[in-house]
Amino acid sequence: MFRERSVRIAAWISCSFLALFTVVPVLWIVATAFKTAAEINAWPPTFLPSAPTWANFDEIIYHTEFPRYILNTILVSTVSTVCIMITSSIAGFVFAKYKFPFRGLIFMVLLASATIPLEAYMIPVYIMVFKLKMLNTFAALILPLTIMTFGVFFMRQVIMGIPDELLEAARIDGASEFWIYLRIILNLSKNGLMAIGVFAFTQAWANFMWPLVVVSTGDMYTTELGLAVYQRAFYTEYGPIAAGAVISIVPMLIVFVALRRHIMAGIATSGMKG
Amino acid sequence: MSDVILPPQPSSLPARLARGWARMKRNHIGFVICALGPVLALFVVIRIYPIAETIRLSFYDYHITRRSNPFVGLGNYAYLFEDGPFHEALVNTILFSMLAVVATLLLALACAILLRSIEKAAPIYELLFYIPVVTPWVPASVIWKWIFDPTFGALNYALSFFGVARLGWLQDPTLILFALVAVSVWKMVGYFVVIFGVGLRAIPEELLEAADLDGATAWRKLTRIVLPLMRPIILFSVVTCTIINFNVFAPVYVLTASSQGAPAYDFKVLVGEIYSNGFVYYHMGYAGAQCVVLLLFVMSLLIVQFLAFREKK
Repeated sequence: MFRERSVRIAAWISCSFLALFTVVPVLWIVATAFKTAAEINAWPPTFLPSAPTWANFDEIIYHTEFPRYILNTILVSTVSTVCIMITSSIAGFVFAKYKFPFRGLIFMVLLASATIPLEAYMIPVYIMVFKLKMLNTFAALILPLTIMTFGVFFMRQVIMGIPDELLEAARIDGASEFWIYLRIILNLSKNGLMAIGVFAFTQAWANFMWPLVVVSTGDMYTTELGLAVYQRAFYTEYGPIAAGAVISIVPMLIVFVALRRHIMAGIATSGMKG
Repeated sequence: MSDVILPPQPSSLPARLARGWARMKRNHIGFVICALGPVLALFVVIRIYPIAETIRLSFYDYHITRRSNPFVGLGNYAYLFEDGPFHEALVNTILFSMLAVVATLLLALACAILLRSIEKAAPIYELLFYIPVVTPWVPASVIWKWIFDPTFGALNYALSFFGVARLGWLQDPTLILFALVAVSVWKMVGYFVVIFGVGLRAIPEELLEAADLDGATAWRKLTRIVLPLMRPIILFSVVTCTIINFNVFAPVYVLTASSQGAPAYDFKVLVGEIYSNGFVYYHMGYAGAQCVVLLLFVMSLLIVQFLAFREKK
């Protein structure tokens, strides 16, 4: 875009500074998780641990309920991801390939509701869960995470790219609509579905507000909630908290680095919406 | 499909019904209902209905464990005007969002534009910028809490080289605002670098080459070509970023809890007030009124965005 030498030099310098700003804090917490308590509370602070130790991880894994929280989070995130992949692909398919009354209107309402944050309408959802006597259950944790408007929008975009002739050919061979969905649509939209799966998983994993509201006993905590509660209760033991934070971050980083191409494609679409 | 020219048909009612039925069958209406029905039902139950119900609740003195919840009309809204902590939260949230949005987007836009001049390195930089975006809010706040710690924090240590005395980043009512803005910028900047990158790549290279031939400076190319073409995506980003920041809660929840050195300043924000009114004191009607404030704010932003796009077309 700009080939001027001065611009290129400015680009290298400023982007490197921004990269330091975004990366160093994460490296810092990882380094801290391997430090001894004495080193964490030392002045001046050190960056790399002088005597790396697993003690903080031992502490949080063997002496707290944290492993339970991790399992809870894995369960909630996995079920939520599967639900969102199903609801997004089937709704995306119907919006992309079928004509029915009020299609445009229904789609508009869905899209408009996407930007309204859960925080703005969580009270009635909570009351609903309370009346169903479902507070403090996995079902309650998963309920708001079973649909994703962006998923429907994105899958619709992907499926619109699948030629109608394929569907027609299958119909002539006597395929039912559901068979077409299972065998043709899911197969040909695999990459898009993957991107939505990644979004759904990270979104469920990082969720904090809803678990904070519906969970009341320690055995139902998610990692995010457990971490926040530990952080408030045991703020003097920073080592194990740092280890917990690392445990919460690492799966996200792995998923992101492994599937970054899918993720970037998804973000590109979310930008195109604007 | 429907382009086939049909011969004139009798238009008696049974015939019309039969034709309608045939058309519905051709469009697989049965499958549409079976497939979309459950998904739409979920949408209604966990999104559309709760939004409407939030508005209804805001007119009631609703308490979850009570049998009777009297209608209070605009009572909850009247109380919004007297509620000191709510005013504090609203002012804080607006100030925080404005600072965070401006800082995040200016930084992201500048870096996204600069990245286009070092195209080969761009994917690596975007990857590095994106790490905080995939870091959930809670561990992100845990990281920054330790950096801001007045006694052992890295920030005060770094500043000590410049002769700055230790500052209570999370203890001072003004500094905590900037500390939260820094966390928010750190968390979100990578996302908007990628979003702006998408917009910038869509600008035709020929336009800029033509400007080069005319001897345009980098600054003129930026202000006359790049920025005008980026308007829609900038607007989208302003709206998205404002909504995200207006909802700030997790970092406040973590960062305002006591830290090693001293108890932190109790920085109030809108969602924090909704949480404490609704789920700590169970004044759900009143919390509902505060939700409506949030709802109105988000809706008005969306309407502004919608109108701006419509005007373009």
